[in-house]
Amino acid sequence: METASLSGLARLISNRCPPPSSENARDFSKKMVSKTEEEQVNRLEIQVENGGGGAWEYLCLVRKLKLRRSDRVLKFGLSILNDPKKRSNLGPEEWTLYEEVAVAAMDCQCLDVAKDCTKILQNKFPGSNRVGRLEAMLLEAKGSWEEAEKAYLSLLEENPLDQVIHKRKTAMAKAQGNIPQAVECLNKYLEIFMADHDAWRELAEIYMSLQMYKQAAFCYEELILAQPTVPLYHLAYADVLYTLGGLENLQIAKKYYSSAVELTGGKNTRALFGICLCSFAIGQLTKGRNKEDKENSELQSLSALALEKEYKQRNPSKNALLTATLKSLKLSS
Amino acid sequence: MAEDLVLDTAIRDWVLIPLSVVMVLIGVLRYFVSKLMRSSSVPDPKIVKEGQVIIRARNLRAAANFIPAKSFRSRKAYYSNEENGLLHVPKGQAQNAQAQMFSDPNMAMDMMKKNLSMIIPQTLTFAWVNFFFSGFVAAKIPFPLTQRFRSMLQNGIDLSTVDVSYVSSRSWYFLNLFGLRGLFSLILGEENATDDTQRMMQMSGFGFDPSKSLGAEKDGLDIVQHEWALPKFEQRAEAVLRKLVS
Repeated sequence: METASLSGLARLISNRCPPPSSENARDFSKKMVSKTEEEQVNRLEIQVENGGGGAWEYLCLVRKLKLRRSDRVLKFGLSILNDPKKRSNLGPEEWTLYEEVAVAAMDCQCLDVAKDCTKILQNKFPGSNRVGRLEAMLLEAKGSWEEAEKAYLSLLEENPLDQVIHKRKTAMAKAQGNIPQAVECLNKYLEIFMADHDAWRELAEIYMSLQMYKQAAFCYEELILAQPTVPLYHLAYADVLYTLGGLENLQIAKKYYSSAVELTGGKNTRALFGICLCSFAIGQLTKGRNKEDKENSELQSLSALALEKEYKQRNPSKNALLTATLKSLKLSS
Repeated sequence: MAEDLVLDTAIRDWVLIPLSVVMVLIGVLRYFVSKLMRSSSVPDPKIVKEGQVIIRARNLRAAANFIPAKSFRSRKAYYSNEENGLLHVPKGQAQNAQAQMFSDPNMAMDMMKKNLSMIIPQTLTFAWVNFFFSGFVAAKIPFPLTQRFRSMLQNGIDLSTVDVSYVSSRSWYFLNLFGLRGLFSLILGEENATDDTQRMMQMSGFGFDPSKSLGAEKDGLDIVQHEWALPKFEQRAEAVLRKLVS
């Protein structure tokens, strides 16, 4: 029963509004960049695209916000690097740009460009840890895992507390499809750097993919502790608890869905559906003995109403689907 | 009478300007020497971990009400149980930390290097100024000052009748010593190593004892009362939705 309604839910949500440009939408939702910053980046991007200048500002902003827009970074970065006058205007920032472009090139599989950038940096800073890291990443991008692993290990020997290298090792294990090793790597990393919430988030997502929901729940608790006002974590935690099932978990899940609703001002469709589904599941489990149902049913019907209103406003064509779903949850009015 | 006092231009050429130039050059030199001597210290994993534990425990304390009671209790036990909790510091070890810090030769060496690069040039330049330029009136500032400034501006001249706006050479040295920071940050970049006050702060923070803050964090965690905030959120969500729907 649960799986059926869940997949219906997934279809509903994914059909509702096609994401404007899936890649951008993803990197914003993942990195949590504020709305104004997002607008600024997009404006700059269009400006540079149309030859309005400001490429360097755009690159700085992308680096600052840690966005992943490798194709454009590569394009704009190269346009600066290939112009000797523009390049010399940067002064010492030139080397930072080389690094940024090298990483972007690896991401785009332009290995020649990445190789050239790394070589230039290697000549400028021989024996540098940071360039060594770049070289290892280049090996990684080529797919020669063993050599990359060796390079990372030798870098770690010099500086055993290099966070980036630990993270790279995890990413490498994940890229090879060796998920258990990635988990092990991340756990080892988190043993020391236990306040790094990005790592906790990654671990939570890996556990989710492995269907180890209890472990994932722990990670999401850790994330909620680190940033209690981010609704995404409340939502994800509720999802995990709902998936785990059981009366107690469902009740807790419902509470976290409501907190997500409260934190987003009722704008989060998934949280609204979550409340409906939780209430329904709780109702199923406590069928014979409904004592406390009365007070909770209000929240449930309210969220159903909110959903109906939102669908009517934003996507009337899917209204029938919603009504059917709500009817199956015995919520339709 | 003060107006009568005329400073020889030779004083300007042979005292004021050389003194300033020498101070700047010494500052730059010191920057490069300390850059050479700076050893890239590898941080101790244990200390890094302790710092991270403290951050995590602080998060737990601040946001305890956002996780279910069961999760909070298990975390609390994990941090502060008496056997192997993360925040628990064994009795004997706490005393040792300080002694251990001083017995570590690397750390003592580091401190000495820092001290040497700061104290030696200062002593030398002070001796040099004292020897060659003692008792000079090196400059005159263009505005009058009250008597209180006499000890600051006329160090080394024991005449109470000289107008306070005249600056003695030794005072000029001190003014340069403390006043050139802005210039250095222009020449050497923002994070130059000649910032004396910052270094003083580092020195005082040197005796920082991580085990003490671990203990403090443990005490803080022990008195946290867990009161789950989420049940309230159901009502609040209801209110939000009611406003939205209506």
